[in-house]
Amino acid sequence: MSPQTLRVLERFAQRPAAWRYGYELSRETGLKSGTLYPILMRLAKYSLLETKWVTTEDGVPPRHTYRLTPNGIEVVRTSVAGTRSGWKVRQRALSGGAA
Amino acid sequence: MTPKAVPRRVASLLLRSVIKITPRDAIAWGQAMLSELHHIEGDWAALVWAIGGASVLAKHALLSAVIPRGNRPAVASGGELFTKEGPMRKTILAAAGACAVASLLFFLAPAFRQAFRVSLAQWNCVLHVMPVYVTLPYREPGLEALARQVEQKHDAEGLAFVAVRQRHWDAPESARLADEAIRLDPKLTWVYAIVALRNPLLSEIDLWVPKLEQWDPQNALPYLITAESIDIHQVARDKVRHWNLNRAEDESPAWQNAMAAAFQSPKLDTYCDRVRDLDRRVLLRYGFGDPYQAVDIGCEYGLPSSAAWDSSRYAESLLESGQILEARGDRKGALEKYWAVARFGQMAGSAGRFMMSQSLQDAYKRLATLSQREGNKQQAELYAYLVGKVHQAEEERTSLLQRDTGGAVSRWNAGVVRVSGLMMLFSGGLALICVSSVIAKGGLLRPGTLRVSKVSVTLGIGSAAGLLLSTAMLYVTYRPYAEILRAYLRDGDQSRIEELTWFLGYAQLPLGMDDSNQLNFVFYFWFGVTAMCAIALLLAVLRYLQNRPRATATT
Repeated sequence: MSPQTLRVLERFAQRPAAWRYGYELSRETGLKSGTLYPILMRLAKYSLLETKWVTTEDGVPPRHTYRLTPNGIEVVRTSVAGTRSGWKVRQRALSGGAA
Repeated sequence: MTPKAVPRRVASLLLRSVIKITPRDAIAWGQAMLSELHHIEGDWAALVWAIGGASVLAKHALLSAVIPRGNRPAVASGGELFTKEGPMRKTILAAAGACAVASLLFFLAPAFRQAFRVSLAQWNCVLHVMPVYVTLPYREPGLEALARQVEQKHDAEGLAFVAVRQRHWDAPESARLADEAIRLDPKLTWVYAIVALRNPLLSEIDLWVPKLEQWDPQNALPYLITAESIDIHQVARDKVRHWNLNRAEDESPAWQNAMAAAFQSPKLDTYCDRVRDLDRRVLLRYGFGDPYQAVDIGCEYGLPSSAAWDSSRYAESLLESGQILEARGDRKGALEKYWAVARFGQMAGSAGRFMMSQSLQDAYKRLATLSQREGNKQQAELYAYLVGKVHQAEEERTSLLQRDTGGAVSRWNAGVVRVSGLMMLFSGGLALICVSSVIAKGGLLRPGTLRVSKVSVTLGIGSAAGLLLSTAMLYVTYRPYAEILRAYLRDGDQSRIEELTWFLGYAQLPLGMDDSNQLNFVFYFWFGVTAMCAIALLLAVLRYLQNRPRATATT
């Protein structure tokens, strides 16, 4: 899993029930649109992310919003936890500590 | 409502434009990026956003054009979810493999192997960093292998074939092979003449010339070899510039004697026909498929330029002597001098190159003038007619060179062959990289379960298709030249051999280069390679430095 994907998932995992905007995710993760949207598209393609169009104010086009599906929440929990523990083990090994 | 700033308008326009070519399943995502534009702070930030989004959509459009969408299974596990990879489809693997196999099958055809060899000739002067003109005929690994083979078999003709193809810095080896060939078959004594003309500094020439005179006593060639050898030794010994020896009167008595003997000889045989026949026999016997070895540039014009130049200088001196004798009233002596030039010029014919043409015309003019003075009008008219014939032949030759029609077609075909060869190398290299990356990821044993990125799939298919296309293009373009060579080797048909010679000459020039700027090209080529390597190294270092702190910051 790429660090960028992990970063996006971590954002979703913080508030799993909330709907998020693309630009908002971009600012929070520091990812450019060219990196963020392929990740979102892939997540949505595998039904881990649900999407919805919402109207925010008059005269402005509706916005696309995203939220993890229940299946997505489950996958993200295992993936993020696994990756984090893996990193910690690696970091300890690199710093000379016991693995 | 305030008017939108230009960057924001450009951003909006860009995304709207790309959405038009986006595949249907990604249009909603394009609209999503477009709608977010209204909420982005800063016009330039909006433009950057749009550029990123447009690149994503464009990539989707490109991939959907190359790889048709299939039914993809839903993925449940997180491990295989986020890696930009999908299962490699058997049809894709089969298509790419078929293209690669079809390309390789071309190598079964001898004509294609020839074509491939010709397409690689352009690298000779780049990789060896040598001027093009010394590469024909050049010694290459195939010739080395043939040399070993013919030596083991004690094949006299094979040895002679290799001997005349040695480069000038391999002259001693050339002499050794020629000696061995003639020891095995004395009928090949003429090979001494070819080797001597190509290597005038060889010390063995002094031993060879008497043998040549004995073997072919009426031929002028051994005397021309002697004269050339004297000339070149003087240049090497006294550091005299060759163009300073422009007057025949300044030459040594030995040179004068050799040229006098040459001009008195009853015939001039440059043994080009014998060389061609020998080449054909050896090439067919050993199935040696290098067209550069089959087309002997050295024999194309008959005498080497040095011998032709010597002849021209000596002819001029004879004409001058004749005029002096004429002025003294020695008509018979003058006539002999003019006749010697006319006879040698006729004998040399096309072998004497353009250098003898002017001397021949001058000799006929003088003979015509002498006949006119004697009142022999009929003979004077005959000489005048001969002047016209020689002049006409020279005009035709010049006109043929200027028209250069065969050269233009051959130049184009050689260009196509060179491009095809480069495309083949590039596509083949790319395909190898793709296959290596796939193997490194998990092997090719179970292609159904193999997962590769879309980029790898696209590059793999593109390179395989490119390989097939360039292979076919190379074969189709070279095929007529293979036929010319086949007709020449089997039947001795020389009618189109000049066309092949033009083609092979152009094919060995690196792409985008002509004879005039070859050294610059080599310099720019290696400069480009070095610069690209430096840039690649710089990018690798930057990427490494960029990634290192991020990895530590995550934990």
